[in-house]
Amino acid sequence: MPKTDQDPLGPHFNWRLRAELDRVQPRFSSPRYLSHGAGGRVGAWRFAPAALAIGLAGILGLTAYAATGSTNPAVWTERAKSVIEAVPPSSESTPSPARPQAAPPAAPVRQSPAAPAERPEPTEQPEPSNTAEPRESPEPSPSPEPTDNHSGSGSSGDSGESANPSPTPTDH
Amino acid sequence: MGEGYQPGSREDFDRLYRTAYPRVYRTLSVILRDPDEAEDCAQDAFVQAFQAWKRWRPDAPAEAWVHRIAVNRAISYRRRAKLRSVGEILRRLGRPATSTDPAEAAARPDLLTALRSLPPKLAVAIVLRHYHGYNNREIAAAIGVSERTIGTRLRQAGERLRAELDSPFSLAPRTAFPSDNSETYAED
Repeated sequence: MPKTDQDPLGPHFNWRLRAELDRVQPRFSSPRYLSHGAGGRVGAWRFAPAALAIGLAGILGLTAYAATGSTNPAVWTERAKSVIEAVPPSSESTPSPARPQAAPPAAPVRQSPAAPAERPEPTEQPEPSNTAEPRESPEPSPSPEPTDNHSGSGSSGDSGESANPSPTPTDH
Repeated sequence: MGEGYQPGSREDFDRLYRTAYPRVYRTLSVILRDPDEAEDCAQDAFVQAFQAWKRWRPDAPAEAWVHRIAVNRAISYRRRAKLRSVGEILRRLGRPATSTDPAEAAARPDLLTALRSLPPKLAVAIVLRHYHGYNNREIAAAIGVSERTIGTRLRQAGERLRAELDSPFSLAPRTAFPSDNSETYAED
């Protein structure tokens, strides 16, 4: 680096400037770029949970779409409900291996709305005019309500009670 | 000056920091009056240089490159600080910006005070030339202007610095600055 000795500020200017600037001592604090580099990595990792959550949500959506064939989340919910409701009876039947043939009569699928093809039974189809209320309560009920219906109109007792062996109409 | 640096090398940047940080800090101490401001700008300049270290090209001296970042940052810092200060408002109204108290002037190193009274671009040119030993080409590369502009700035800085040091409130020995009007800055 060549320098001229004929500077307009004089030959002693360099010496004076050097003497005064050398007195200026920087404080050697820790380099800020070190923490900044680490901070950048921390900042990048700060978004990792959000990215992971978005990725999991995407995978879940794709799985649900593949399972149901629908993009409607309501359908996914219904499917999930049906699966959850269907699982407990099967899990209850599995711990009793001594009675393998008792499990099919339990028919856990009958309660699931997702399997309508298994519901039709030959005894229920020839009753088109009856109300559904007596069929939904197969257990014997000691309530006095059936007696009122029986005395008012006997048409419901012809076919509905024939399929239902409950003794309630005859008791009153 | 910075030979052997590899762009993107962490070890080389650490070496550059150890070598150049005191020199950059002293340059900024001429632009900025407060040591904390000088340290702040110098550290920020090295952060910015570290982020761009992979893109640094070895054809330019690494220290001059960091100097360029630091000087630009210090000038921006000083501009913002001046806009905020009340003293700047008073100066715009015609009041003197610098104190002319002889006792205060005697308590400060007059050469650095005179340098700090110059516009930052002129003061930086003086420091890079007379303290760091850069030639006009290196100063031009560090500042980002042409060599011709650097020659002009050095001439203007010399004239203003001489006038500042010749003021009645300066205690500078006049023999150290002979009135030599010969212009030699443009020749390297």
